[in-house]
Amino acid sequence: MCTACGVPAAPGPWTEAGAASAGDRLRARARQVRHLDRLLRPFGLTVAESGTVPGFQLGRLTGEVVLVPDLPSVWVEAARMLGRAVDPLAAPYV
Amino acid sequence: MSDGRLRLTILGGALGSGKTTWARHQLFAGAFGPRVHVLVNEAAEVPVDDQLLARADGVTVLAGGCACCDGRAALIAALREVCDLRSRGMGPEQVLLETSGLADPGAIAASLRADPVLARHLRLDGIVVAVDAVHAMAQLTEDPLVHRQIAVADRLLLTKVDAATPEDVARLQAGLRQRNAGAVIEGCQHGVGVVLPPPSDLFPSLPPSPDAPDPSVAATLQIPDGLDWAEVMVWLSALLHARGDRVVRVKGVIPSAAGRLLVQAVRGVVEAPELLPPGAREGDGRLVLLGRGISEAVLARSMRGFLDLPDVEAGKL
Repeated sequence: MCTACGVPAAPGPWTEAGAASAGDRLRARARQVRHLDRLLRPFGLTVAESGTVPGFQLGRLTGEVVLVPDLPSVWVEAARMLGRAVDPLAAPYV
Repeated sequence: MSDGRLRLTILGGALGSGKTTWARHQLFAGAFGPRVHVLVNEAAEVPVDDQLLARADGVTVLAGGCACCDGRAALIAALREVCDLRSRGMGPEQVLLETSGLADPGAIAASLRADPVLARHLRLDGIVVAVDAVHAMAQLTEDPLVHRQIAVADRLLLTKVDAATPEDVARLQAGLRQRNAGAVIEGCQHGVGVVLPPPSDLFPSLPPSPDAPDPSVAATLQIPDGLDWAEVMVWLSALLHARGDRVVRVKGVIPSAAGRLLVQAVRGVVEAPELLPPGAREGDGRLVLLGRGISEAVLARSMRGFLDLPDVEAGKL
């Protein structure tokens, strides 16, 4: 609940729901960034998390960087950049 | 575990499947607590069912349009009004939404989650779908909507079991279990719960949906030991983004740093995960996925390939 306007807060991203402490959140975020960067590099995209801005920094190898707030948004933005979704049920993953 | 949001139960099922009868009995028995508001959606212009639901704290009728398509705006407006009342301390603690028989409860859940106001005020407690034990087989042959209703259910109510033979009920139960392995199946007659016969192990298959040549199937995926919940989220979020149209339902308990995390998704829309009481239970560490074009083997290979996991013995992943 926002103490200024009384509007209830939106639930946080579902992908971060398993963290019990700030340390858990950082560790989870670091693991996710490692996977995302490994998965998206073959498509010419990079993923980083500097710790200074909220969310993920999704970039192209050209230097363009987009800030995305959460994990589900990474896939939405990556699909926009690539023109198609990264599909875990397609080659080379299956 | 309550997070302060208004709890919503969606009650769906084919026309005449016994939704109102079940709701009446539940309200009479106080199953939803003392302060439950009932929203009744009827596709017809002249409402009938609201007359039967006198035990509710309040009844709102949404007539003249199905809540998953034509009547969606009216449903959202009505729910916003209930949330507004509750914010002022006058509203109910729970809402029971009885959909019309023509509605897809999954589409309703997705549109409520997409609404910026309701996403903050409402928590989907579950989707209950009534299945007519006498007519279900015929309905499944003719109507793809019944397949969609069954696929998104958390609880499947086999109604009118007294009017069907025990063999038919057992076969139907086995077929439903095959289609929606994540749902609890209960029997009832005249709205009152009854014990079901054990499911048949013979010919469990239900007719395929008339609009989908490849039927919806349930696949259970065991999360490998040692795989971190944060990594499961990477795979699951990518899967739901790319295949949310085909993966109708996801349900499972993932062990996480905070505890046992109940994750549920309907058509690619994920409800805020809920922390379950501590204490490992059978079924933890498993995800049940329902959809078309998926299989346990493909999902297991996908998780392994996507997360770059080392090979494990067959059947483990």
